[in-house]
Amino acid sequence: MEEPAAFERLVYKNASIFHYMKICLVLENGRRNIEAAQFKQLIISGLRQLYGEVGAAFPFDLLKFDPGTLTGMLRVYNSGLVKLWSALTLIGSYQNELCAVRVTQVSPFLLALSGNSRELELDQASFTGEKPLLT
Amino acid sequence: MSPELEKCSRSLLVCEKSNFMKEKSRYDIHVSKHYFNYKVSIVIPECASLPASIAGVINRFNSYYRVRDLPIYKLLEGEFLEKVVKKGQFYALSYNTRIDEDNTIAFLPSGQLILSVDKDTYEQLGLEGKPSQYKHRKVMRYVVTIDLTDKLMSPGAKRYQRLITSLKEWVPIKCDLLISSKMTAEEEGGVLQNLLSQYSFEEHRPTLHTNTLKEMPYPSLHPSDRHGDEQSCDPHRFLEWLGAVSMDISSDNEASSFLSTYGCPDPQSLMSHGLLCTVTGFLIPEDIYSLLLELRRYFDEPKITSWLSMTVHGFVDSPVSWGTTEHGFLKSGENFYNFVCFRNQDYWLHMATGSHDGCPP
Repeated sequence: MEEPAAFERLVYKNASIFHYMKICLVLENGRRNIEAAQFKQLIISGLRQLYGEVGAAFPFDLLKFDPGTLTGMLRVYNSGLVKLWSALTLIGSYQNELCAVRVTQVSPFLLALSGNSRELELDQASFTGEKPLLT
Repeated sequence: MSPELEKCSRSLLVCEKSNFMKEKSRYDIHVSKHYFNYKVSIVIPECASLPASIAGVINRFNSYYRVRDLPIYKLLEGEFLEKVVKKGQFYALSYNTRIDEDNTIAFLPSGQLILSVDKDTYEQLGLEGKPSQYKHRKVMRYVVTIDLTDKLMSPGAKRYQRLITSLKEWVPIKCDLLISSKMTAEEEGGVLQNLLSQYSFEEHRPTLHTNTLKEMPYPSLHPSDRHGDEQSCDPHRFLEWLGAVSMDISSDNEASSFLSTYGCPDPQSLMSHGLLCTVTGFLIPEDIYSLLLELRRYFDEPKITSWLSMTVHGFVDSPVSWGTTEHGFLKSGENFYNFVCFRNQDYWLHMATGSHDGCPP
C-alpha cells in the first residue's frame, strides 16, 4: 500500500489556455443536414470576412458536431476567443439562406459545458408514486 | 490586433491533494458547504456496469419538490419557520430564475435566507443588504442575507415583522421553488406537506443515466505526484478529458485533422471498458457525501483501475457557491468540484469557479 499523500493546495488563476463554446446554428427555413466540415468551413469564412486572412489565422477545434440538431462544441485558445465569438455573432447566411449562430454556453472548462443547470426541465416530469428504474 | 481583444475573464481552479483518512482533511466540509447541486457524474475506468452498492446509494437520494408560485413569506411564518427552516437540512432555490437577470431566492441549511434582487426590488423591499460584489460601474444588483436563527429575527421581533411586511405587502415575491428537506415527516410534524398541499407542486426523483465507455484512452494518474512532477497530466487537461468523456467527444484525432486536434492527455492507458454515470436533479450535499463514502469503498476489493472520479456541478443560477460566498454569472456560472479517489484513499479535489465568484475554500 502506498504511503498517504502529504497535503498540498494550489490555486490556479486563469491557467486554462483554452475556452470552450457550445453553439447552435439556426437556419431560417428550419433544420437541414450539414456536415461537420461544412460547419467548420462556415465559421472559418465568417472569421475571414471579419478579420481578414491574417486575423483569422488562428486554430480552433470543432470538438463535436450533431448534424441533426446543428449544435456544436468548439475549443479555441484564449487569445482567439473574442475574435471567434464576434465572428460567430456576425455570421448571417449559409449558402444564400439566412441563418444565425446562437452561443449557448462559454467556459474555460470543458467539464462545465456538461453540467448546465439551465437545461433542467421539470415541466414534463412528474411523480407517479414509483421510483424511476435504473437505465 | 489590439491586446485588449486577447484578454479573457478570470477563472479559478483550486487543487487540493490529501488523504481521506487524515483527520485534518477538510473534504467533508467542502462537500457540505456546496449547497445547491445540479448534477453528479461518476467515471470509473475498467468497470463494466454500475455496482449495486453505488446504485443503492443513488436510489436512496432525497426526492425534491417543485412548488409553483409560492409566496416566499409563507416559508417564514410560524410553524414552518420553527420546525423546518431553523432546524437545518432544509434547502430551497428559486427555479428558472437567472442570477444575472431575475430576482433569485435561496434558503440555506444554516437557516439563512438569501435574496439576490435587482435595484428596483431592493429599494421597494426596504431591507438591509449589500451591493453585489460583481458590479460594473453602476450597482444593478443587491444581495440581502438574513440569518433567521438570529434572536433579532425571532417571531414578534421588530426586524422579523419588517421582513414579513416587506415580503407580504410591499413586494410580494412569488416564484417557483425547488425544495428539499432531509428531515422526515415525523421529525417535522408534517408541516412541509401541509404547506405544499396549499399550492401546486410536483415531487421529483433525481434522474439516473448510465453509459458504457468502450475501448478508449484514459489518463494515468499517480497519487504521489507533487506539483511539477511529470507522472500525471496537468489538472486542466484532466478536467478537459472528463468533459470530453461526459459529452462523448472523440479523443483519437490526428494532429493534422481539419475538424479537431483534441486528444487524450499523456501519460495515458487504454481501457477496454468504463462506466459513465450521471445523476441529475436538485441534489443535496448529504446525499453526495454518502455517495462519496460509497465510492471510496469501491477499492475495498482489488480493482484494475487505480482511480475513479466524481464531478459535482452546482446550479449556475445559485446566489452562493460555497458557504455564503456570492456567486454570479458573467459568461458562465460554473461552480463545480471534482474528486479523484485513489486505491490508497488518497484524493485530489479540484474546485473551479468563474469570473463572478470568490475563490473556492
